[in-house]
Amino acid sequence: MPRKTVIIGGGAAGLGSAGGVKAADPTADVVVYTENEDVAYSPCGIPYVHGGEIPDFERLFLAGKQAYVDAGIDVHYETAVTAIDTAAKTVTVAGEGAVAYDQLIIATGWNYADPGVPGGELSGLYYVKNIRRAMEWDKVISETKSAVVVEAGPLGLEMVTALAHRGVETHLIDPNPYALAMMADPDIMKPVEDSWRELGVHLHFNTTLEAFLGDDDGKVRAVQTSGGEIAADLVVISTHKTPENSLAKAAGIKLGSTGAIIVDERMKTSAPDVWAAGDVVEIPHGLTRTPLQGLTGSHAYAQGKTAGTNAGGGDRAYRAVYVPWGTPAGKWVIGGASFGEATATALGIPYVKGEAQGISRARYYPGVQPVRVKLLAEPGTLRLIGAQMVGGGEGIKERADFLAQAIRFGMTLHDLSTMENVYSPAIGALNEPIVVAATNGVAESKKKA
Amino acid sequence: MAGTGFFGWLRSNSEHYLLIAAHQKLAKEQGSPAPRPPKGAKEIFWLKVFAPTYAVLPWPLRSRIMRAMPGSHRQTWAAPPRSQGPAV
Ligand SMILES: Cc1cc2nc3c(=O)[nH]c(=O)nc-3n(C[C@H](O)[C@H](O)[C@H](O)COP(=O)(O)OP(=O)(O)OC[C@H]3O[C@@H](n4cnc5c(N)ncnc54)[C@H](O)[C@@H]3O)c2cc1C
Repeated sequence: MPRKTVIIGGGAAGLGSAGGVKAADPTADVVVYTENEDVAYSPCGIPYVHGGEIPDFERLFLAGKQAYVDAGIDVHYETAVTAIDTAAKTVTVAGEGAVAYDQLIIATGWNYADPGVPGGELSGLYYVKNIRRAMEWDKVISETKSAVVVEAGPLGLEMVTALAHRGVETHLIDPNPYALAMMADPDIMKPVEDSWRELGVHLHFNTTLEAFLGDDDGKVRAVQTSGGEIAADLVVISTHKTPENSLAKAAGIKLGSTGAIIVDERMKTSAPDVWAAGDVVEIPHGLTRTPLQGLTGSHAYAQGKTAGTNAGGGDRAYRAVYVPWGTPAGKWVIGGASFGEATATALGIPYVKGEAQGISRARYYPGVQPVRVKLLAEPGTLRLIGAQMVGGGEGIKERADFLAQAIRFGMTLHDLSTMENVYSPAIGALNEPIVVAATNGVAESKKKA
Repeated sequence: MAGTGFFGWLRSNSEHYLLIAAHQKLAKEQGSPAPRPPKGAKEIFWLKVFAPTYAVLPWPLRSRIMRAMPGSHRQTWAAPPRSQGPAV
């Protein structure tokens, strides 16, 4: 009898897991349950369809339903799993009853944190996630005059930019003093905020959401905030991600301080034959070892592959994370790796800073863009511990990827200040901004010594 | 639905208020936008008592306390890669 692997979740982690199981054991029965109507679409593209940069939602579908049938993966769409019994090795499936498994992978993902204020039941509150709903909301956006985006998290940033591009009067409210304050630094976000203002966005920082206010038809008409009322036909909620942990919690699977499932490097949970992956798990940070939850789709996919490979009888280890990240925001692209000054300061980690304002290609070559790099290093050893960047777009992602590797492999500011770099007028400047920032960091550390 | 329990409560509050304290510090040092002043007993406790106490503890001690909390970090994870010798 082939082994049966049940996967709860059809997102990046669930599908990565399904592929992992099949790669390790092509004969395995793999059943995926998802509450959604679709799998294999990129939710990451939704804000860019709303913003008009991508012309239609169809492009976000990466594979048709038949592709999974052909791969021998049995996907049950619009099907909720309501319980897990780790002793009996069964899951309870709505409409199917108890379903036995040999191996179980939990990839139930994340939800937006509950804003926790009155009026949450009103219509007109948009939680950007499901592609079918996004198609419907896109029509609403076409008729929207004014919108409020609640919280400047990564998705909030993308939606503020998208709504502004669509000509909607956009307000951003956030309890912090600047945008993306839970992970980015104020100097990195300053140009982004200026560019939003140029686009006509109204920014309300240090402003707390108090209630959603509705009209007689039960539709949102405004938000009540600590700074007063803001009228809006549409409210986009982009509060932080929380792990969808209810099934795991009810099954007695151990959760960590983030509320996400505790796993080891093989994505194994505390229950026998149960693995977990994606935003429902927590992964230690490579330097601080502090567990993090709610990373990105690429992390979720790689963790899914690991969980699936191991559930399928293979052997694969996932590593602690250094979290390269990046996103367009306003007219800029921001990014980084590990942590920035705000997080290092919050954790009380001492650092030396190396900063540079550079350019993305030769000064004289058309299309040259600014690139600002800020590197953080451990005092003394000058080992790189974090980086943040803002620029016109070119090369920000590649620098974030590279710097995450540099941190992971223990490179120092000395290493980076003497690194080789590509100089070709159309694609790279003579003075690579990372090299200049690292050189400045070395000089800064000598001043402090 | 996120997890609750003592460690969940401690983690979410300490993370939140330590970041606010960091924003305050950066605002003083760099002139970046400052958070609003604390209001009410809860905010005053976390920002005026907890954050300064945390700040005076040395990093190794703070790190030890964080590592003692339950979580994925207490499971088996491969050691961070070390730089190798020359390839050729
Ligand atoms: C608008 C948007 C933009 C994004 N942009 C980016 C980006 O730019 N870069 C990036 O890397 N990532 C991006 N992401 C991805 C994202 O932030 C996550 O990291 C990713 O979705 C995590 O994948 P996951 O598989 O863990 O969870 P999810 O994608 O949340 O998938 C969870 C799955 O579990 C299913 N499920 C949950 N509970 C049950 C149940 N009880 N029964 C059955 N099925 C269940 C759901 O139906 C779903 O299929 C974006 C996501 C969105 C929504």
